[in-house]
Amino acid sequence: MVDYIRLIREAILNYDEDSVKRLVNEAIEKGMNPLEILDKGLTPAIREVGDKFGKEEIFLTELLLAANACMAGAEIAKQKLLEKKQKTNKPKGMIVLGTVQGDVHNIGKDIFKVLLEISGYQVYDLGIDVPAENFAKKAIEVNADFVASSALLTTTRPQQKLIEEKLREAGIRGKVKTIVGGGATDKNWAKEVGCDFYATDAVEGVKIIRKVCEKLQ
Amino acid sequence: MKPKLEILSREELDVIYQTALYLLKNVGVAIEDDKTVKLLTDNGCDVGPHNIVYFPEWLVKDCLNSTPKEVTLCGRDPSRDLRIGRQRYPFIIPHVLNVNYYDALTCTYRTTTKKDVEDFVKVCDFLDTMDGVWVLTMLPEFKEMYMFYDFEMGIHNTTKPVCTTTLEPESIEPTYELAASVAGGKDELKKRPLLTICFCAVSPLSWSKKGCEVLKASARWGIQPAVTTEAPMGDTGPITFAGNIAQKMAEFLSGDVILQLLNKGMPVIWINVHESFDQRTSMVNLASHGDFIQACAMGQIEKYIGVPIISPISPDSHMLDMQESYELAYTLLPQMLGGNSIIVVHGLDTTRAFNNELLLLLDDMVIAARRILDGIDVNPDTLAIEVIKNVCSKMQDGKRVGHFLDQRHTLSWYEKEHRPRKDAVFEKHSREKWIELRSKSFVQRANERIKEILKTHKPEPLSKELEAEISKIRKKYRIRG
Repeated sequence: MVDYIRLIREAILNYDEDSVKRLVNEAIEKGMNPLEILDKGLTPAIREVGDKFGKEEIFLTELLLAANACMAGAEIAKQKLLEKKQKTNKPKGMIVLGTVQGDVHNIGKDIFKVLLEISGYQVYDLGIDVPAENFAKKAIEVNADFVASSALLTTTRPQQKLIEEKLREAGIRGKVKTIVGGGATDKNWAKEVGCDFYATDAVEGVKIIRKVCEKLQ
Repeated sequence: MKPKLEILSREELDVIYQTALYLLKNVGVAIEDDKTVKLLTDNGCDVGPHNIVYFPEWLVKDCLNSTPKEVTLCGRDPSRDLRIGRQRYPFIIPHVLNVNYYDALTCTYRTTTKKDVEDFVKVCDFLDTMDGVWVLTMLPEFKEMYMFYDFEMGIHNTTKPVCTTTLEPESIEPTYELAASVAGGKDELKKRPLLTICFCAVSPLSWSKKGCEVLKASARWGIQPAVTTEAPMGDTGPITFAGNIAQKMAEFLSGDVILQLLNKGMPVIWINVHESFDQRTSMVNLASHGDFIQACAMGQIEKYIGVPIISPISPDSHMLDMQESYELAYTLLPQMLGGNSIIVVHGLDTTRAFNNELLLLLDDMVIAARRILDGIDVNPDTLAIEVIKNVCSKMQDGKRVGHFLDQRHTLSWYEKEHRPRKDAVFEKHSREKWIELRSKSFVQRANERIKEILKTHKPEPLSKELEAEISKIRKKYRIRG
């Protein structure tokens, strides 16, 4: 039997999206469980790439190419699970994500979203230029574990303080955790606005969320 | 198009050269050594009172024509030989000089030790941007035969070319034998000269007896000579750039004539030192405004005269501080952009001290200067039209949401175009991350990296047979172990 898990891992480490798609399809055709492909092939491989990025051994583009390859494989595996009406894994956490009002920067947020999704989290992406109350509304609606907001401009970062207030007004601040990121933010800012966490980049953000969600479970 | 810095016109270069020829013919060169004077007069020069020798134009031109345009500086490892005249970038050769080692962590000076020199050479061996090393130590523990010890310390710790300077003609022979042993015999040494020695003309327009002895010894042994001209501006050379360059050119040409008459066709290197004399402090400087502009002209003078020029640079700063970085950048970059073949880099304190951490600053400056020299490539792939189209085609809610971070084109070109560093000596993280990494200064980070290099990098050792040969040479010349 071909060792598909190893081959899929290698294709992800080579940022080879076409090979990942082909190998996932082939593995399923040969009878492999899509869940096994997700849990043993795709997820550990992207975590390995994320760790390499965290250690500054690879560049951000390499991480994103690997993430895209991984996502493409994951989509195929998830589709097969739906076709077979097989149960998918329960999301590891519910994350509401967006760029704050007045700010239209999306790149960092989108990278964070991809990394969260391939790590097994359910992400509700509110997009860019999102009013503070929308973060609170969505968090109530989906019973979120985390509200993550991005601000790249010093003129828009006060919106993150407003998000904290809206969550408190909605009475869910004690239940939901908050995390901020983006070029205009830092650890001091997070502390000042009463936010729980600050992440310097997407990989660190995923690590923080993983740690907190594992404790919650 | 590749960038190049030019500050002299062809006509101006012609005038400077003609002035050098005029000085040799009409002002002459004072030569202390009678045998050298005889050699010159036998070959068409005139001699006046005080052994002042006047060089006819035809002789100077003849000798310059017989001087090879290309020179190879050889290392123990032939793949690290420096083929001067054919290289893509200027070669960078750090210089370890005798007086002091600067401890960057404590900001103090101390007397250089043998280990300091060995460590410095090892770091040069490790760094890809350093093409060789120049060793002139005169360590007190050696007392004599300094060039032998310098060359030996060099070859033990690097397989790249090792250049030396001699102030004692008697040290040339044992060092020559040592180089021949490394090369695999005297015939092999002729094919691959491993030993380069430098010696000075005395400004203005003079050759000392000792200098003549070294010229003769170098021609006799076939050792690669590097004729040095030093005429601090306003001190032993004119205060004006054109006159200063012309005088040094005349001094070099006089040395070249002597060498070519002794050994026609011998490759010669000109070490052209640009120095200013500071009238406020009475100090000779290598990194003041005047030195920066001479640095710009080195490449052009070299191409014009057709002889490889080594041009030394040295910050005057006494610390690894802002002044040091400014002076290093302003001497290194113009010289590299001007196309000077070899740049010898001294550490700090106007050549009187060296330091290992500085090599990492230099390393990055060289990478940056090389990148400038490569220019901007304009071709279908670098214009990236297809990639721009692809990124711009990604739409969401009527807005363009694509970016270039997840494009293969970005991955393919990032390192080629930007030459990013993967080590942490140059701090490029967020301030948060820098604080998390203990808020270290450049010097602290460089010190850690140097320690790591010295711990892990092991230069290729000499063979047992070669070590035995070296012992024999030591015995023969009574050089202490």
